[in-house]
Amino acid sequence: MDAIVPQPSPPEEPILEMNDIQGLAIPGFFKPHMTLLGLRYPGGPELARLKPLLAQLAASISTAQQTLANRRAYRAAREASQVRHPAAAPRIVLTAIGFSASGLAKLTPGAQDIPSEAYQQGLLARAELLGDPTDPTAEGNPKNWVVGASGKALDALVVVAGDARAEVDRRAAELRGKLRASGVEIAYEENGDVRPDLPGHEHFGFDDGISQPGLRGRASAAPGDYVEDRAIDPRQTPEAWLWGLPGQDLVWPGEFVLGYPATSPDPLFAGPPSATTPQWTRNGSFLVFRRLRQDVALFRRTLRQESERLRKLPGFDAFTPEYLAARLVGRWPSGAPVNRVPRTDDANLGEERRANNNFRFDADSAAFALKGGFKDPFPMAKADPAGITCPWAAHIRKVNVRDSGSDLGGRDSTYARRLLRTGIPFGKPLADPAAAGEDSEKGNRGLLFLSIQASIEAQFEFLLARWMGDPTRPKTPGGHDVFIGQNGEPGAGRERRCLLFGDGLQQAELATRAEWVIPTGGGYFFLPSIRALREVLAQ
Amino acid sequence: MAIKALLDRFDPPAHLPDFNDLPGLLDQWDRAMIHWFNASIASEQGQVHPGDPVQFYNPRVFDPGGIAIDQAVTWNAFPKEQTRRFGRERALREADKLTPLSRAGFEGEIATRTFFRSLNEYCEWHVVRDPDTDQILRVTFTSEPPEYWQALYGGTYDLVGDGTLDTFSGSPARVLKLYRELVSPAVQPEDLICQESLVRGGFVIVKKGDYNPYNKWNTTHGIVHLCSPPNTITAEIQLGADATILRQDPRRRPLVEPDALICCSAYGGPDRNSDPTIGAAVNALARLGAYVTLRNPVGLYMDHIELGGWSAPDGRGVTDCVRIVRGGPQTIERLVVEVPAARGFTVSELKIGGVPIQTGGQIAECITVRLVGTAVPSRLSNRPVSCIARCCIDPHQATTLGRPLALDAPIPPGKRPAFVDQGTVPVPLGPAAAEAAGAAAPAAAVHPATPARAKFSRRILAD
Repeated sequence: MDAIVPQPSPPEEPILEMNDIQGLAIPGFFKPHMTLLGLRYPGGPELARLKPLLAQLAASISTAQQTLANRRAYRAAREASQVRHPAAAPRIVLTAIGFSASGLAKLTPGAQDIPSEAYQQGLLARAELLGDPTDPTAEGNPKNWVVGASGKALDALVVVAGDARAEVDRRAAELRGKLRASGVEIAYEENGDVRPDLPGHEHFGFDDGISQPGLRGRASAAPGDYVEDRAIDPRQTPEAWLWGLPGQDLVWPGEFVLGYPATSPDPLFAGPPSATTPQWTRNGSFLVFRRLRQDVALFRRTLRQESERLRKLPGFDAFTPEYLAARLVGRWPSGAPVNRVPRTDDANLGEERRANNNFRFDADSAAFALKGGFKDPFPMAKADPAGITCPWAAHIRKVNVRDSGSDLGGRDSTYARRLLRTGIPFGKPLADPAAAGEDSEKGNRGLLFLSIQASIEAQFEFLLARWMGDPTRPKTPGGHDVFIGQNGEPGAGRERRCLLFGDGLQQAELATRAEWVIPTGGGYFFLPSIRALREVLAQ
Repeated sequence: MAIKALLDRFDPPAHLPDFNDLPGLLDQWDRAMIHWFNASIASEQGQVHPGDPVQFYNPRVFDPGGIAIDQAVTWNAFPKEQTRRFGRERALREADKLTPLSRAGFEGEIATRTFFRSLNEYCEWHVVRDPDTDQILRVTFTSEPPEYWQALYGGTYDLVGDGTLDTFSGSPARVLKLYRELVSPAVQPEDLICQESLVRGGFVIVKKGDYNPYNKWNTTHGIVHLCSPPNTITAEIQLGADATILRQDPRRRPLVEPDALICCSAYGGPDRNSDPTIGAAVNALARLGAYVTLRNPVGLYMDHIELGGWSAPDGRGVTDCVRIVRGGPQTIERLVVEVPAARGFTVSELKIGGVPIQTGGQIAECITVRLVGTAVPSRLSNRPVSCIARCCIDPHQATTLGRPLALDAPIPPGKRPAFVDQGTVPVPLGPAAAEAAGAAAPAAAVHPATPARAKFSRRILAD
């Protein structure tokens, strides 16, 4: 009889330098209101006015410490009052600043040594790789971008976020004034706000940002002071050390902040630290900003047409527009995963963060008792290795295969590709998609997509270009990410297609050239540490 | 999906036509494949519980009876082993280089001047540069197995080490003709013949006088087929068979995670894209109670190359810079990337995502490799057996899993076992759950681990 190997102890996790890392990176700004300021500034002697401002700003850029403290206080208030948005919660305005390669190079020559092809090239040069339209007349082509278009790339991006719109506006106005006085052009400015009608949902109606990676790492030397809550009682399973909330993979912090251990082949072992070249990039992160316009009317119209077509096929009676949309996403609008509730949405499951991310794909899922005694009351997901319930091309399955394995081997291939997403919708919701002619925003609504990662190429770009944008990856036969992916393959006419299953294992293909997510600008930025901002960039 | 009968014949990979007009060769290939399938299946007999069938089957001799479902398995062509070892930037440079056979355990002075490509994802490439400017003129990719060319050349070979040899009538003249077409008109007949036997671990791998898969026109001076020792069709078949063995951890929980499973089962290289992905896909089908095999024509293929984000200096696209030379769409055996002379620039001036192509590996990152398995759901209920191996990891430089080690082998100094208590389907433990888990396993002793050495896949033999 083989010996039972003793249960592993939890891995030792690094203490993060919470006063040096920007709060936008760790733990992220998850506030209902945000304003982005896109900056351009000249190089050379003109910088003599900007540099002192940067030194000053360094004192007011939100640290990870401040941001985490606010988050914890907010959650404690929520817990105490049992209200999702408690009135007693402390309010705050948070600020972050990131620099593009061109903007950073104007401030310090060492910027050229940052070994990231994507960052140095800039988003403009990488747009084709991401599948953005190459037709110069297309709205999504960089020539026509609203922000960061050809010839107008940003040098820096300021992110202001907070609990109250008025306070965010006040801070943004203050910054605007100071920046202009220092010779900086505010080349772009936009507000993002959670939908007042559906807070937390993006414009197609789906709850966004449910599955965030859990960060390994401690906020201090105090015992148990993890940045991310550990919810599962380790007596339940030796694998409890792998998760924060159920289903939330714990990822080594080097995947999001430079200089810390990153992913290794065994998730419980810390991998080598993500590179810091030059040395002052330690505690820094990369920020991807993509302004995505969402054509809600087109999305709804296509869903209607396609679901009508599919319902004519044997076995596809269930394919209402909502059912079809849930297959393309992998979750219902509430956020409830289709694997747990295949036939209809369950808003309670969607809202319950201790359950809405607890599912596997290839094997039956199980519930674990959590610290504090929560017992998951919702139906557990059944094994779905063939993608019958949740199609392989569903958005959530394209970007994270979970236990399925990808075309790059085992689990580390997903751990090393996670993104921390801290974006927010912009534009007023479209009240009646059928009445698009009366749309006061004239279609100008969408997502200010923001992601944090240590490697733009290996994380953000890889997901978009390789897994979402290729029909055979990470698994075949799946199809493209029809929901928010793009197909930039030459000669393919930008058509996205995916495989769907009906009730009796019948198969059907959905193919569309309708593009309801249009890239309208953005940039690749580096979020320096507070110290680098003060001691390198401001000097 | 169709009701299966017995397969009529094992065809050559991608239905390549070279055997067609050579008398007897198609039959010989079929017989050799039957031999290789049978040898793999026989090798698993000692692995399963007594009384349980081996779930890998030979479709030429056995019809499980039921609906057959094809399952394509795909993986990325760029060698993950090298990325894990070196990081991407250095891996791109290393991957273009050749390695002497002496580093793969081959013996003697001859092994120091015979080379192979250390690219273990069943897809290898050769870069041709302008000797004056160092610009890349051409990159050629292949996924053709060496056995195909050994058969085409002719000869008698010991390919699976079970005492039975495979004989092919073949045609050296045909091989010479193809080499001259594919690589260079300068190829001479004697270049293709092994001048001095290549030996590893006391075994003759390539016999003097036989066709030499490591000949210079397939290594230093060009490329025709795969030559890295794990990249063989016999290894592919063995991998398929090995991966049908159901495994459980010491707590008797089924192992399912791709990397944990391959370390436990030692059926290939745990640091690769290919073996963990293929093995996990096969094992998942076996866990569902299916008989599993490889679909005819058995081989390795490039599925496609992604050209999104590629640009040329004249702005006129790149589709004429990529040619399928052998095989077809989704069954590509030979692919060439080369700019038509009329356009006036080289491959080095093409860009991917704005970055000039400086290595073959940048192109390999855009290539997906593929094989197709077939599963016949059969309600089998094989009992999982214990692991026969484990991988160890260096906690201070946790980049690679390395080669799986026998369970009774000492843990290398400074390393720790990987995937302890991981890689299964987690279920809550508790007194009731533990009892249930114990009850599920048979009352008889857990099947003793087979002496591990004998069973390690030939997919691990190199490095």
